[in-house]
Amino acid sequence: MIDKHSAETGPYPHLAFVVARPLVSSFFLLLQQGVMLRSRVGCSVEAFLRQELKASPGTIEKIQSIVLDGKPVDDIGTAVLHNGSALALSAAMPGLVGATLRRGGAYSSFRSAITYHEPGTACMPGEGWVRIKIFNLLMAELGPDLLRKGVLLRSADLLGFLAGRAREFQQGCSVTLNSRSIDVGMLDGNAGLGKADQVFLSVSSGPAAA
Amino acid sequence: MDKILRIDVGAEGGPKATAVPVGEYAGLGGRALTSAIVLKEVPPLCHPLGGENKLVIAPGLLSGTAGAQTGRISVGCKSPLTGGIKESNSGGQPSQVLAKLGYGAIVLEGRPKGDDLYKIFINKDGVKITKDNSLKMLPNYDVVEKMKKEYGDKICCISIGPAGEMKMGAATIAFTDMELRPTRHAGRGGVGAVMGSKNIKVIVLDATGMPVRAPKDPDKFQDANKRFVDGLKKHPVTGQGLPAYGTNILTNILNEVGGYPTYNFRQGRFDGAAKISGETQADTETKRGANPTHGCHRGCVIQCSGTYNDKDGHYLTKQPEYETVWAHGGNCGISDLDKIAMMDFLDDNYGIDTIEMGATIAVAMEAGLAPFGDADAAIKMIHEVGKGTDRGRILGNGAGMTGKAFGVERVPVVKNQAMPAYDPRAVQGIGVTYATSPMGADHTAGYAVTANVLKVGGDVNALKPEGQVELSRNLQIATAAIDSTGMCLFIAFAVLDQPDTFQALLDMLNSFYGLNLTGDSVTELGKKILKMERDFNTRAGFTPQHDRLPSYFKTEKFAPHNVTFAVKDEELDKVFNW
Ligand code: SF4
Repeated sequence: MIDKHSAETGPYPHLAFVVARPLVSSFFLLLQQGVMLRSRVGCSVEAFLRQELKASPGTIEKIQSIVLDGKPVDDIGTAVLHNGSALALSAAMPGLVGATLRRGGAYSSFRSAITYHEPGTACMPGEGWVRIKIFNLLMAELGPDLLRKGVLLRSADLLGFLAGRAREFQQGCSVTLNSRSIDVGMLDGNAGLGKADQVFLSVSSGPAAA
Repeated sequence: MDKILRIDVGAEGGPKATAVPVGEYAGLGGRALTSAIVLKEVPPLCHPLGGENKLVIAPGLLSGTAGAQTGRISVGCKSPLTGGIKESNSGGQPSQVLAKLGYGAIVLEGRPKGDDLYKIFINKDGVKITKDNSLKMLPNYDVVEKMKKEYGDKICCISIGPAGEMKMGAATIAFTDMELRPTRHAGRGGVGAVMGSKNIKVIVLDATGMPVRAPKDPDKFQDANKRFVDGLKKHPVTGQGLPAYGTNILTNILNEVGGYPTYNFRQGRFDGAAKISGETQADTETKRGANPTHGCHRGCVIQCSGTYNDKDGHYLTKQPEYETVWAHGGNCGISDLDKIAMMDFLDDNYGIDTIEMGATIAVAMEAGLAPFGDADAAIKMIHEVGKGTDRGRILGNGAGMTGKAFGVERVPVVKNQAMPAYDPRAVQGIGVTYATSPMGADHTAGYAVTANVLKVGGDVNALKPEGQVELSRNLQIATAAIDSTGMCLFIAFAVLDQPDTFQALLDMLNSFYGLNLTGDSVTELGKKILKMERDFNTRAGFTPQHDRLPSYFKTEKFAPHNVTFAVKDEELDKVFNW
């Protein structure tokens, strides 16, 4: 039964993995599908990257394509995150279209029909949920911290991801559901999530699992 | 590369080969050479499958050298798909090998006397042409296996599959990779059908005993090549993104911005995108013991290619490219990577263009031949093409033909060639290139070097609407020039951002040939090529009205952004005003 509610995880079951360091990257694929993050909103994309994702200036430089609510962003200092915003982050992409999607790039006019413009509606700073997708080379840069902090995602997405991977996690991995240990074999089934639509997932590497 | 091998397929007693000096074509390579020969020697109004058409296969100017990324080969002819001039290029080993053998081009010309099928073997000792009807209707992998048994494994092959023999508009010419697999294709425009019309099944090349081509100034060439390689390695796209994920790295981001054409260009997002993304593909390949980082020819330092294994860990096909995964995946509503990989293999084996075939299947699905998302039905359609059933003959002639045969209005073609994987309503600048390229809808036509590096036509104000037209023009000019060097177009990402890498490329050309080329010379070359190609098309009957997207792109709103293609016809007509 799911009984754990906390300020950190919200009213969602919390599945926590402690895994050997190389296994953390196995979870990166989940980040491309999109996960929800409890975060500060009403702030610029740049502030979000620095403060919430703890992205260094070097990493921000690597984030060449930023898509906010489906629209490519040119200026991360002025684009503002709202409660419920969807933010996707990618490193530099190949091809003319890859170049076209770069923030502030020479070809940005090619996609002017879909470029992000701040709607101008006031957004009060506060807390909210942001849906975040992380692609390609950025998964390894931003993934470990984000997963350690924990993200909310659809149970179906997580279970689909875990299906058939129990063997992969058999060694060097311990799993708890709402702080109670569960058998890794359960990951191939429902992982004890019952009918919960969403699940709070955290993944960290630690000596216990090494 | 000072001679051209002309093969008259209509000669008495069977095809006859003659090596002639390059003569007036001296100094040209790749696309510049194929387009020059086609313009001068092919009557624009001829039937593409008739005796007057010629098939020109030309390595790039730097192919066969020790330079990195120099293994691109161009194929030119009058296209059976578009009716205009065509240059379609490919990776693989043959460009390097043909150049080492000293040939600037092979030209297949004339009309065969009968139905016999021929193979051509070329090595340092000369050319041998043999009748071999046992090759009839063999798929590409089988052809290569047979050639390996006959000529050993030091060879590389240029071949057609059944689609080429059946002279289909979507037929490709296959070029073998480093593992001697027919995985690289001159895919677009039906060039395989022209090779089929000449009754040539396979050209086998063996450069054993031939040295690497020597530069005029070896020290300078070595230095320039080193700077060029360093530039490629330090750039995040060519040094990291492409090696790790291949071109399919684009799926997620295109889908996210709503520019990923799905369900036959009906909408810009696909729910199954994450299942077929480059990230998922690379993960699957690694888990199954395949290799996500691999070159398609020796000398490639970017290595955007890879191999794809089936569930049991056996080789299934090369790593499918972004365009293929889109064409057979999202555009048909299919999100099963294994089935998409199977389609990639079948396309390669039968010798069919993956972009044209995927677009065709989506049109067929729109016509109701199968529901969107039905991967097994899609696979069956490809088999029908390969076997030449009545329906397969229609499908194998592309999206335009299929739309006509089954009464579909939404057919995403320009000059009868299917559009690739970027919707021109979301990314309107690429729509300008689709509309105006002499090649038909082609994403690589305006792909290469930034205006800021080349300063083609002066500085461009990209924020003005007409900036899109100017940028498209400049990109088309630069691409035409790069296509002549034999360089893989993926160098563009590093050259685009790093002027010193572009300079290194110029220095490679200059030190190899003893020239003094500048950015301006490259611009002039690109303009010259485009002028030749447009000249051919005009004389073949093309008018400004052919430089248009299908009208539904102007009226049908494209979700999620609900945009239509808004670049005016008058603007499109200005693309080639320079
Ligand atoms: S980058 Fe890719 S296409 Fe270009 S030569 Fe290398 S493997 Fe071939």
